[in-house]
Amino acid sequence: MKKRVTLTFPRRAVQMPVTYRLAKDFNVATNIIRAQVAPNQVGKLVVELLGDIDEMDAAIEWMRSQDITVSLASREILIDEESCVDCGLCTGVCPTQALILDPDTYQLKFTRSRCVVCEQCIPACPVQAISTNF
Amino acid sequence: MLRTVAEINEKIQQQKAVVLTVEELKARVQEVGVTQTTQEVDVITTGTFEPMESTGAIFNLGHTDPPIKIRQCWLEGVPAYAGLGAVDLYLGATVMAEYGGLGDAEESRLNTVLPERGGGHVIEDLIAGKPVQLRALGQVTDCYPRPSFETTITRDTINQFYLFNPRNLYQNFIVGVNGGDRTLYTYLGPLYPRLGNAVYSNPGAISPLFNDPQLEIIGIGTKIFLGGGIGYITWEGTQHFPLQKRLPNETPIGPAATLAVIGDAKQMTPQWVRGCYFKNYGASIMLGVGVPLPVLNEQVVAHAAIQDQDIVAPVVDFSIPRRVRPTFGLVSYAHLKSGQIKIDGQMVRTAPLASIRLSRQVALELKQWISLGQFTLTEPVAPIPGDRTFLPQDRWGSQRASE
Repeated sequence: MKKRVTLTFPRRAVQMPVTYRLAKDFNVATNIIRAQVAPNQVGKLVVELLGDIDEMDAAIEWMRSQDITVSLASREILIDEESCVDCGLCTGVCPTQALILDPDTYQLKFTRSRCVVCEQCIPACPVQAISTNF
Repeated sequence: MLRTVAEINEKIQQQKAVVLTVEELKARVQEVGVTQTTQEVDVITTGTFEPMESTGAIFNLGHTDPPIKIRQCWLEGVPAYAGLGAVDLYLGATVMAEYGGLGDAEESRLNTVLPERGGGHVIEDLIAGKPVQLRALGQVTDCYPRPSFETTITRDTINQFYLFNPRNLYQNFIVGVNGGDRTLYTYLGPLYPRLGNAVYSNPGAISPLFNDPQLEIIGIGTKIFLGGGIGYITWEGTQHFPLQKRLPNETPIGPAATLAVIGDAKQMTPQWVRGCYFKNYGASIMLGVGVPLPVLNEQVVAHAAIQDQDIVAPVVDFSIPRRVRPTFGLVSYAHLKSGQIKIDGQMVRTAPLASIRLSRQVALELKQWISLGQFTLTEPVAPIPGDRTFLPQDRWGSQRASE
């Protein structure tokens, strides 16, 4: 199964090769959606974990034992369909084509699994129909 | 002439008129050709839904007791123009709360005014029937002794309330890109550096004025769909530039004709009148406008059969903020709608700014009105001029000084 989580690393854990450990010890594949990591700073990773449910739970438990904060409620982009006018301006700034206009109906389509929550669409929207849930 | 407007109106009243949206018409012409389509169809409906900055509302407040001659006025902190009759006001779509001041003793209220709101949002609220706070300062005279007035208004507590838009319905526009190295915040939304994206703002071949390229069948007095209510074309729009270069199919290669329109805002609905805001640029308004084209002869159908691949717009670089900006040449609307265009060998993502979905819906709604006999057509009372140049504004005498 797949699970999207946000990992917050204390400064000392930044040195640890976490994605390697997840793969090697727990057989969990980690797809990095977004990362903000620098030496001697608190790091943040938004990742999609893919693996067996028990192994994934064990992996999350292990990360928590290493003082990594694992948040299951990850930040998401929300589209208010009542406000949206389907102008499509956001589709031009979306780097992953999570936001596209349907080629037939020209209705805005949001594919959550493609979204990297870069939030560039939020200020681009002229009718303030896009927000995050945080 | 095959049909007259009077004959079409007779059919509309009997609910026997054959009405096609402009997209249905284009498809029909592909199938059976211009001649047969002309025989079959009485009316073509076109529509657009896009930001139209040069939009504003005129309203009459009604007289207070004792009366006031309003000289300064704010609606939800957004200034309205008061240099008309005592309680006549004009609220432009692009005025913003933070510019123009709020008058004295407004400090505390200033904090509650959202800077991302402007005249367009206030117009939308009034049309939606929401209460709007009004504050006015008057010039004290013997006729009008009251110095100030504060109240809350709605669309039902004011007299006339109509949109009078000096420039709507641009016939074609530009495509904005940014060849510079920092993000630009424009009236086309954010333009990313190094040709990061391209924005086009006209919905293309379905847009009303692309389908009557020389404004032969519409003119002053033409009845239209405006913001969900009935409106009329009143004049040429500001910056009306019919002499723009044109392709052999008579469509212009850049911004050309524009129209001034008017319509009763009390009939309008917030679905078709939406305040909007472009980050670091300012407030504006998105409007749904629909224009019916009577099928008087074959030429009307031939013009309206135009497709996205037959019309073009110039790709303009916003990184040089001058009156004449450099362009990367022309691109067809078919390419723009494909989602990417090639500029200087680089693939660039395109995004529209007009809502193509809602533009289609305007045409559909107007089709429904006509089919049900609720909307008849008018003949223009005067043509829109076809010979206007587009003057730049330079300092008086600057040409002589540089010689």
